[in-house]
Amino acid sequence: MNDVQSPGLVRPDWERLAQNQSRLAFGLAVAELARRDGKVVAISADTIDLFGLRGFLEAKPDRLIEAGIAEQNAMGIASGLATTGMRPILCGYAPFITARSLEQLRNDVAYANQRVVIGAACGGIVLAMAGGTHHAVEDLAIMRNMPNMTVIVPADARQTWHAALQTEQLAGPSYIRLGGKFEEPPVTDIAGKGFRIGRADLMRPGGDVTVIACGCLVAPAIATSDALAGAGIGVRVLNMHTIKPLDREAVLAAAAETDAIVTAEEHRISGGLGGAVAEFLAQERPTAMRMIGMPDEFSIVGPTARVREHYGLSQQAIMDACRALLA
Amino acid sequence: MKRNFQAKIEGLQQDALHIRRNVWRALHAAGSGHMGGSSSSADLLAALYFHHLRLRPNEPDWPGRDRFVLSKGHANAALGATLARAGFIEDVVLDQFYAYRSTFGMHPDIKMPGVEMSTGGLGHGLSVGLGMALGARLQNLDFRTCVMLGDGELQEGSNWEGAMAAAHLGLANLTAILDYNKVQQSGHVGEMLTLEPVAEKWTAFGWAVREIDGHDMAAIVEALDALPLAPDKPSMIIAHTIKGKGVSFAEDTYLWHNNMVTDEVYENALRELALDGLGATE
Repeated sequence: MNDVQSPGLVRPDWERLAQNQSRLAFGLAVAELARRDGKVVAISADTIDLFGLRGFLEAKPDRLIEAGIAEQNAMGIASGLATTGMRPILCGYAPFITARSLEQLRNDVAYANQRVVIGAACGGIVLAMAGGTHHAVEDLAIMRNMPNMTVIVPADARQTWHAALQTEQLAGPSYIRLGGKFEEPPVTDIAGKGFRIGRADLMRPGGDVTVIACGCLVAPAIATSDALAGAGIGVRVLNMHTIKPLDREAVLAAAAETDAIVTAEEHRISGGLGGAVAEFLAQERPTAMRMIGMPDEFSIVGPTARVREHYGLSQQAIMDACRALLA
Repeated sequence: MKRNFQAKIEGLQQDALHIRRNVWRALHAAGSGHMGGSSSSADLLAALYFHHLRLRPNEPDWPGRDRFVLSKGHANAALGATLARAGFIEDVVLDQFYAYRSTFGMHPDIKMPGVEMSTGGLGHGLSVGLGMALGARLQNLDFRTCVMLGDGELQEGSNWEGAMAAAHLGLANLTAILDYNKVQQSGHVGEMLTLEPVAEKWTAFGWAVREIDGHDMAAIVEALDALPLAPDKPSMIIAHTIKGKGVSFAEDTYLWHNNMVTDEVYENALRELALDGLGATE
């Protein structure tokens, strides 16, 4: 990985086309990467429209392989393609591309260290109404335990675009967790200014407590900081978009410069972002922490917003955690 | 011409004999290993590496090379013996089977020169080989991809996803070879979970299929020379083999799928695989 920033906006309309949806931003980035590099090839697991790739398929039919509803085979194909110098980008559903094809992901992609980019739509409880079979709330724990793997949870569609483009610079495999078919509020810079895989975004400065969040929890973390500023509480907000490799420097600075840390993620408490931060700080600088995430149970069914609230994935929960740590 | 062919076949038989002897050597060094499936594949590997595949052992990453994936990765002792004979690795590596920090473990490691994919988990190689064949097509390269499958391995459902997709994509540059030795870890395949009718299954999935005796070197060479078996389909060579081939006490028994190799066992095995068996001297 190097320090090259995302290049200028070659498709000025990408942001409009992405409609504030990270899954669509990822699909647009696939087309952009393919435009730049003739070795790029997308692999669909019956996910063409989920990623908005219909236009790409028509423009470059030989650069989109439809593998069908067969994730194990799709993952193996991606690995084999990568060994020949192609740059495969696998577009799957987060709950299936991680669990169904896990052994292929571990052996053929991570162990063999192939440059495969995995786009995982409908991460977390985006498909809350679909039931536990369709919830991906252990994917980060799984991916974080794959040597060679880079794990990214963009905070919005803009960051997804820049993250996907920067995978060009990665020497090994990567996993990018994406949202579903609804808007994600934009919170990051449209030009990707300062965005770099592996380096946390400082969204708000603050000297009392730090919230380290990823994905859809970044927006409520920012709202928390803004709300508590009025009460004289300085809440630093880090958008930890890269779960692995963890930006240890930013975590260590937060532990040193603020009194406590709250982590927030749409994932089970064990093994995800909170786990990564806690494992690191427990050894390097024990710090008071609260971890916001989901409990050790199969999550309930319901509208996503309502289920997020049910599990305390909200501004209120983040505020309560900050206050509790400072009390 | 016929005499040349006969000489070629005898040469390949010698190669296979050396592979089998070195399989036992590697297992003896390690103390144990997957004898049965390594010996059953030796003739096929000899024909692939010393007749069919276009390779440059001194340039293992040559982009134009044919690709071989040992999907039945537990036969790695045979692959290592083959790679050593072909000159990809030093002969002494064979004595480092299972050794501390060795690249020559129970299963193939992509870090070893000549190994195209780390395998060992069953049911992976066909999909990976499919990706390689697709990579050749997309880049207008003429290399061919060959995947060796085990019979027990075909019980893994992922193979059938790959079989369906390879035919759908019409990948004539992809060949699968089934080392059909009829025995898996705990017993005979037909009694555990039968594959039959296996030729009909692959035909129904859209592959061009040929069945051969996997220990008849002339038949193996003729089948490889006939590739692709159809101009627009992937090819499947079903090679009927004998588990543990070449050593009487190891043949056709699940007990030698993976077993201990003591000094005594090793000596007895080599006695049956004597180098003068085919009139050669060394």
